[in-house]
Amino acid sequence: MIKKLLSYLLLCVLIVSVKQLNAQSEPLFNKYHSGNEVQQILKTLHQNNAAKTQLHNIATSPGGEQITVLEIGSNLDDAPAIFVGANFEGNIPLSTEGALYFAKMLLDSSSYTENIKWFILPLPNPDAAKGFFASVKNNRSVNDFVVNNDMDEATNEDGFDDLNGDGFITQMRVKDLSGTHFVSKNDPRIMVRADAKKGERGEYKMYAEGIDNDEDGKYNEDGEGGINVGIAFPHLFSHKIKEAGIWPGQTPEVYGLLRFIFDRPNIAMAYTLGSSNFCLVPPKGGRRGGANLESIKIPSRYARMLGVDASKTYKMDEVVELMKTIVPAGMEVTPSMVAGFLGLGAAVNPLDDDLKFYTKFSEDYKEYLKAKKFNTETLAPVPAKNGSFELWAYYHLGIPSFSMNLFSVPKVKEEKKKEDGTVSMEDVEKMSADDFSALGEDKIAGFLKANNAPERFTAKGIIEMMKSGRFSPKQMVGMMKNMPKPEKENELSETDKALLAWSEKHWDGKGFTEWEKITHPTLGEVEIGGYVPYLKSTPNQHKIDSLLQVQIPWLMQLSKKLPNILPAKEKVTDLGAGVYKLEIYIENNGYLPYPISMGQRNNQPAPVVVVLEGDIEILEGKNRTPLGNIGGNQVKKLTWLIKADKKTTISAKIDSAVFGNNVKQINIGG
Amino acid sequence: MKKFIIFTLLFSLAIVGFSVEKGKIEVPLRFDRYYSYDEVNEALKVLNKAFPELTKLEVLGQSEEGRDIYALTINNPKTGDELSKPGVYVDGNIHGNEIQAGEVCLYYANMLLTKYGENEKVTKAVDKNSHYIIPVVNVDGRFHFFEDGNTPSSNRSIRVAKDDDGDGLFDEDAPDDLDGDGSICQMRIKDPFGRYKIDSEDKRILVPVKPGEKGEYSMLGYEGIDNDNDGRINEDAEGYLDPNRNWGFNWMPPYVQRGAGNFPLSGVGLKAIDDYISDRPNIIIGYAFHNTGGMWLRVPAEKSTGIAASDIAAYDVIGKEAEKITPGYVYKPAYDLYPTYGDFDSHLFFIHGIYSFVGELFMRSQETYTVKKEGPKEDELESFMRGTRTERSREQLKFNDNVAQGELYKDWKKFEHPVYGEIEIGGWVKMSSRLPHPFMLPDLVHRNASVVFLSALQTPEISIDVFEVKEIGKNLQQVRVRLQNAKGLPSMSAYSVSSKLYPQDMLTVSGGKVVAGGKISDKRLNKVNYKEKKPEIQFLSVPSYGVVEYQFLIEGKGEITFNYESQKAKNINTSVKL
Repeated sequence: MIKKLLSYLLLCVLIVSVKQLNAQSEPLFNKYHSGNEVQQILKTLHQNNAAKTQLHNIATSPGGEQITVLEIGSNLDDAPAIFVGANFEGNIPLSTEGALYFAKMLLDSSSYTENIKWFILPLPNPDAAKGFFASVKNNRSVNDFVVNNDMDEATNEDGFDDLNGDGFITQMRVKDLSGTHFVSKNDPRIMVRADAKKGERGEYKMYAEGIDNDEDGKYNEDGEGGINVGIAFPHLFSHKIKEAGIWPGQTPEVYGLLRFIFDRPNIAMAYTLGSSNFCLVPPKGGRRGGANLESIKIPSRYARMLGVDASKTYKMDEVVELMKTIVPAGMEVTPSMVAGFLGLGAAVNPLDDDLKFYTKFSEDYKEYLKAKKFNTETLAPVPAKNGSFELWAYYHLGIPSFSMNLFSVPKVKEEKKKEDGTVSMEDVEKMSADDFSALGEDKIAGFLKANNAPERFTAKGIIEMMKSGRFSPKQMVGMMKNMPKPEKENELSETDKALLAWSEKHWDGKGFTEWEKITHPTLGEVEIGGYVPYLKSTPNQHKIDSLLQVQIPWLMQLSKKLPNILPAKEKVTDLGAGVYKLEIYIENNGYLPYPISMGQRNNQPAPVVVVLEGDIEILEGKNRTPLGNIGGNQVKKLTWLIKADKKTTISAKIDSAVFGNNVKQINIGG
Repeated sequence: MKKFIIFTLLFSLAIVGFSVEKGKIEVPLRFDRYYSYDEVNEALKVLNKAFPELTKLEVLGQSEEGRDIYALTINNPKTGDELSKPGVYVDGNIHGNEIQAGEVCLYYANMLLTKYGENEKVTKAVDKNSHYIIPVVNVDGRFHFFEDGNTPSSNRSIRVAKDDDGDGLFDEDAPDDLDGDGSICQMRIKDPFGRYKIDSEDKRILVPVKPGEKGEYSMLGYEGIDNDNDGRINEDAEGYLDPNRNWGFNWMPPYVQRGAGNFPLSGVGLKAIDDYISDRPNIIIGYAFHNTGGMWLRVPAEKSTGIAASDIAAYDVIGKEAEKITPGYVYKPAYDLYPTYGDFDSHLFFIHGIYSFVGELFMRSQETYTVKKEGPKEDELESFMRGTRTERSREQLKFNDNVAQGELYKDWKKFEHPVYGEIEIGGWVKMSSRLPHPFMLPDLVHRNASVVFLSALQTPEISIDVFEVKEIGKNLQQVRVRLQNAKGLPSMSAYSVSSKLYPQDMLTVSGGKVVAGGKISDKRLNKVNYKEKKPEIQFLSVPSYGVVEYQFLIEGKGEITFNYESQKAKNINTSVKL
């Protein structure tokens, strides 16, 4: 009955256009949907659009739930595709709603799917997602994969326990001489970790709410599940993190998705709705361990073979040339082959050229949000996690990967205490490097201190870096804004302030469970309290629609940046005796290059090949010519020398798994 | 092109290479021959039929091309259930061309079964262990290696097409068996400007010309044509997906390591094998046989991953003997060769807690034709990379001529190539170089199977013993229990314990109330590390040739039972009356 009602409701919804829906309250997006409801919505969306959609069940979760991808544009043969995945960690229900909202939006106007195919995966971690609807909530992110976390005789025997019966797993604090935390002087609710270097001493030990169910002296060390799908993908995967599993793909949701995506080489872009936000903050760099291809050390045994000095460093181009001398004749040497042979390792930081478009789009996105009067003065999104889908899509598929967290708790507006003679962040942001340096060391030091700059930012050091041109005031302010603000003396951290204020305003203060004494079976007198799960990530359901309405359409904007490769123009020069010089200009009229820099490095994106067909003989050049890399809004010229005995028409075809087969007819001779 | 092959087939009269014996397959199996993919399966079926009580034959999954992957289990059900005994896993031929690895597996099975009841040691190993034997992992590879023209080194990949040359086509330009003799040999062309000339002693050998010297030949690479007409020859053969770089532990993508495949265990047959191993948590030692070079390789496969000293010691128990059982083979960590990621052996050790070895079968230096061995050993990697032949080539050719009756080398013959014109085709045939001539095979399979056999005997044998009972108060007894391992492999690897790969071994006490209990750290000084909670369950592992001792303070009287439970070692118990 409920199912029937729901489909009826959906049907009603589907006949109204997005614009109208935006104007009215949207019945579909006024609540968070459970796994079963998500499945039902996907089925309905498919049934109502049977001609252009398809459902793919790509895996069954360890908990027995289907992992379902909705394909939109299944009627298109040769078209680039965009993959949209949401809520990989299972504890951000808003992102699942975002994916469903996006699917509906795409289906409401055929213009969105004229030349792009979409794959929408709203719920890749359904086992964990059940946690939001459970009677006791613990911000669950692991699936039902059976893991014996404590290696004892039982599995899942010591999970959390809702001791105070409030439906949330919060924290326990216990007075203890060897404690690690003390009560904040600024707010008795907040616990602060004691820093021995500052002469602080802990008074409390902290535990997650629960008892030692299996009596092994440890609390909550072996709860139900599992593997967190959101950190179980192969890039920067760590088997040392128990919740990632021991190899990437061990859990079927991940394995099934990896196969599904690699079976579809036309996927040219990926969106992830979750906790990071590459749309707003470009992916972070600065990880150690990346290979520097401009400074390669050659291990001594290979150095001997190549006849080079093992103590020196070489550039990639040089090593490629050296390698050519020792490989069998006819074997092609590529940089990625050299990198593999010498064991240079994986890329771990976003490549410079790619950061350019990430930065550009993030600036555009900020403008876009500003125009929509959307508050961006919120707590910063978290960086993408190791093993996450969004990092994997960029580093392993070599395609643009954008992510979005659809909600952040607003910051509490600080009153500006602008003293005379000091400069504000906003002022500095607009200054040139010279102007800033001209402020002098004292003023700069004052500015850094007033804005809580990290200790390594010294006035002297910054002036030097500005002078050398390595650092601009704008970059510096950008970095400072993205840094977590340390707790100032006599003041709560920015996060605590924001969360407590948010709890007051939108959760009737119940976003923080006040500390309350109970008697614990083994710990004695304890107090239970703390932030409740989902406070930070999940706004009240009546906010869902308005949040999605503003942010989700940006994904549509980004999809327009895809490269688009076509034959632009050709030139035939008659050299006499039936010999012709043929020049074909291939253009990319999209904004993004193909492939992006990471795609060039990993060689994963499918090649674009120009194929000549017709009654001709090719004297110089190939009948299948790989286009190679092409920048955004750029043209590349390919040249052949051909022989045609009589007047003829040949075809030049773009052969590509991504862009479809564009054909151009060319007349030769006559 | 087809016409062309038919033409050459008709006119190539002298087919070089030893004939693959097609004799009847019966027990005991013969090992002076190589078995094709179908024949391996037939051999397994014959063994299964002859020893129905001791064997179980099953298909664990299918390959990319749909071929069955067989596993033979040898277990004596009369001495216990399969999963209750330490498991010995052995596979081979994960690289399609490394076929003698399959014969080692078949030999191991044949030896255990035919000597059971006759040889005391073999009988013991069959009764004590479960043996899991997968002779051919890369079933498509073995099939194509026999059926198609190949070099000794081609057809390693599993059959997942890859666009090696970036032209949008997949596997479209493999080498071609132009003369239809079943081997992909070398092509050379007469060329006054070439960089090679005929060797003064053996006219089959080309040697590089010295500076200023006149050349006679150019080398044109492996036999083949430009199938895709792109100006290159043989640049996009089958795959390449290296099935020994596609496993889950420490997997790295293909741009970091060629052949890795798109994602861990993307190979469907490999995934089926991983599932098969996951279902058998009793496996404690594993072998994967390859060719070539004469090596016993242990983990780790790259230097940034370390393993505990006690695990190295456990490896040494077998590795140091293995070197002697197979003269000339070297035992070393795999990273010593070159770093690899996502290799099968690391997956066994770091995911499944199995001590794992790679056996690199055969050394070409065993093809001798000389009165006395002297001089430094040839660096095989270096000579391979240079692609040159040294004086060793002359000796190898003599070996071919007078020991192998000319079956390993094809003399150079003229051939009309569609692009190059008149060329010559010749060189080492498919069944050479990395494969011993069948006359050497019995020795190879026996010695290598003996290493697997030795490690079966070294799997843990735990005994349990109550060695002291003392009354220490009213109704309170102090009981001491000893677990002893008579063999060289510990009951768990140190890595499994530290990384919590699976539940630890347990010693549980039942029948009385255990007031306190813990591991004895010094029994003479009476030092015990008491376990604070649940003292009646102790978690442990029993080291290589070692003992662990526990003390329990038990209240009350009656029959007390001590149970030792382990995933990999056999479960045992003992009782004492208080």
